[in-house]
Amino acid sequence: MADFNVQMHEDNQVSIINLQGYLDAHTAPELENIFTRLIDSKKYKVVVNFEKLNYISSAGLGVFMAYVETMRDNKGDIKFASMTPKVFNIFDLLGFPLLYEFYNDENEAVQKFSEKSQH
Amino acid sequence: MKIKFLKFNRSLKLQNALALSILLFLFKLVFPFSSTIWWLVPNELLVICTFYLITVYIHEIINEKNYTPLSIVLNAGILNALIFLVLSALRPIIFSVFEDLTRENFMYSIAQTFYCFIFITALAYIFSVFTILFFLRQKKNPRFYFNTLVVFLAATSLSNSLNFLYPKLDYIQPALMVVTILLITINSIRIPWIAFLTKKEKIQLIFISVILVVLFILNISLAASGNPSNRILIEFSPSLHQFLIMMMIYGAIFFGVIFFTTLFHLPTAAVYDRKVQEASSLINLSKLITRVFDFKELADTVTDITIQVCNSNSAWLVTDSEGGLTVSAVKNIGYVEADKIITMLSENYELKKISNVKTVSFPGSKNSENPEDNNSIIKCLAIAPLKVHQKINGYLIAARKTEDQFDEDDQKSIGAFADYAALAIENSKLLEESLEKERLEKELDVAREIQNKILPDVTPDIDCLDISAVFIPAFEVGGDYYDFFRLNNNKLGFVIADVSGKGISAAFIMAEIKGIFESLSKLVNSPREVILKANDILKLSLEKKNFVTAVYGIFDFNNQKVIFSRAGHMPSLLARDGQVIQYKPGGIGLGLDHTGNFVNSLEEVEIKLKENDILVLFTDGITESKNSKLEDFGIERFERIILKNGNVNLDDLARAIMKEVTTFSQGNPQHDDITLVIFKWKFKNNNAGEI
Repeated sequence: MADFNVQMHEDNQVSIINLQGYLDAHTAPELENIFTRLIDSKKYKVVVNFEKLNYISSAGLGVFMAYVETMRDNKGDIKFASMTPKVFNIFDLLGFPLLYEFYNDENEAVQKFSEKSQH
Repeated sequence: MKIKFLKFNRSLKLQNALALSILLFLFKLVFPFSSTIWWLVPNELLVICTFYLITVYIHEIINEKNYTPLSIVLNAGILNALIFLVLSALRPIIFSVFEDLTRENFMYSIAQTFYCFIFITALAYIFSVFTILFFLRQKKNPRFYFNTLVVFLAATSLSNSLNFLYPKLDYIQPALMVVTILLITINSIRIPWIAFLTKKEKIQLIFISVILVVLFILNISLAASGNPSNRILIEFSPSLHQFLIMMMIYGAIFFGVIFFTTLFHLPTAAVYDRKVQEASSLINLSKLITRVFDFKELADTVTDITIQVCNSNSAWLVTDSEGGLTVSAVKNIGYVEADKIITMLSENYELKKISNVKTVSFPGSKNSENPEDNNSIIKCLAIAPLKVHQKINGYLIAARKTEDQFDEDDQKSIGAFADYAALAIENSKLLEESLEKERLEKELDVAREIQNKILPDVTPDIDCLDISAVFIPAFEVGGDYYDFFRLNNNKLGFVIADVSGKGISAAFIMAEIKGIFESLSKLVNSPREVILKANDILKLSLEKKNFVTAVYGIFDFNNQKVIFSRAGHMPSLLARDGQVIQYKPGGIGLGLDHTGNFVNSLEEVEIKLKENDILVLFTDGITESKNSKLEDFGIERFERIILKNGNVNLDDLARAIMKEVTTFSQGNPQHDDITLVIFKWKFKNNNAGEI
């Protein structure tokens, strides 16, 4: 039914995932595959760009929850960027802002990684 | 019924034939030979009738036995040989027997009749055989030609009797004979059944027909000679004698034609055999194809037939599934070797792009380590893709250990067999899919049943509080849960929760949640504490990617207040004085946090209730229901409906909300459970002051 698309590129050793469309139980496996690949290649610093994401379901949220621990245990993280208010509202209701870092801009999120690694 | 009728019919024919024979016999006893018309006409009539009835009976017997053409020919040959024997070898014996008897003798008549009955029966049989062979496998109806021939045969035979009466008319007989022979020749040209014989049978037929032609010609000369023994026959019935000659001519011509026709058919016999084999293989395959449960059997049959029809040394079938190429059936080759060859092929050729059967000279194993089995190595291959809807599901491979490439015919048949295999694979896939779907549907039924048992049947009946609850399950069970707990006479606990995920796993978590809240509500008084403890339990038991959002609260009737905490759930709405207030106290979803953030962020709300206050709890199934443009129903629309219907009965309010949601999302399937729980505070306490 609804379209979903994932694209990934790398910037300064940070993997940036661009999401597009509808992330739900049917499309979540696609994102899961990307995270598994990242962990396999030992890339633990991830920024997810939500700019073009229209909708996220609980199954979509579950993907981040499933992998964030591994990232953090390996000195990495999953950071969220450029969320539309509507999508942010879903995260907000669940209390995600207390558990994840949210940024208005993708670059800002990438920047945060390099700041930390310098310390 | 039918068989009985036939049997009766057959025995009736036998009776008729016997009756006429006896009649003829009696006639012969009473009236010995004379050349007057008064004797000849009834005599010939009787002979013709007897012959006809015997023929009818024999014809039926041969037809019933369902002989192959070759055995019918052989039977005719045997009888022909009998005639030859009677005419030639036994002639001196018979002659001497008849010499001793005088013509008017009673015994003479008996011996004569027996002697002639041998001919009548044999000729009846041979004539039946000619009839059957003539009509065998004829596409057009040639009855007219045959009937004409029969008429002329009869006429020629009877003309012999005419000669007796009017010797001056003897020119008629040769004229008729010429026409009959012409007709025989014309009718003998079309012999379609020869084409359907196998090569082996054709060779046999050639030999038999040569022998038969010789026999028939010998019989003609023996029968036509002025030999005295022929006189016995002529005196019995002149027509019969002539008929004997005519049948022998027929036989000579017919089998002569058969000989040449078969000879000309011989070079193409092998090709024809192959085509027939191909056709029957395809028929067998199409019978098998519906038996999708036996894919293994079909694969075996396909490889088997490939070897037979395409004259190859080995064949195997490879299926292309997600795990790569798998060898699923082999014939005359080991799995390992077949696998090795297919791996080699996929490395050297772009197998995915094969659109038709491809032949490959295979030098692959020339540098094999065992030069001894150089004879047994595969030298050429034909690869046919198993294609359905432009998608390749595998390959059928035939291999030869000789240098001759697979020709066009071979390739065509391999292609046809591959198509069948492709269809069978597709069928079994479809079946698997439908079974999987059925399994999922069963699972959904189980999940729905669990959910039904978990949710409360009725809402509690409380004086000061109206309660209405609506639950609409989605096709895939969404994991919504709500419940009420009577804590004591003055307090009512309530919970609404939404489990992430769907189906049977969500249903199981729901059951766990019910247990947790039911027990915690009795042990712990503060909603915040209940949520905290619930999180402590759930974060241990939930999978990483699962979580639960919930609102738990307590109505305190004595103190006219409601206290609740929210764990990541949708806001609670309070409609009061024509306004809707959203309550969204801090709180993370259950099972989301494994640090201290959960405790720190969790808040509790306490609301002092006023008369006609409406508290609305819901799951995101309502606000996230979508219309055909994929727009959300949204919370604003929701609030407007609540305000508009604020004064109606609580059940009517619930109905109004659901009606709006349904109308809005018409044409778009419901993806998530919808749960709506509404409370209306009716308690009027004059003593109570402002909030």
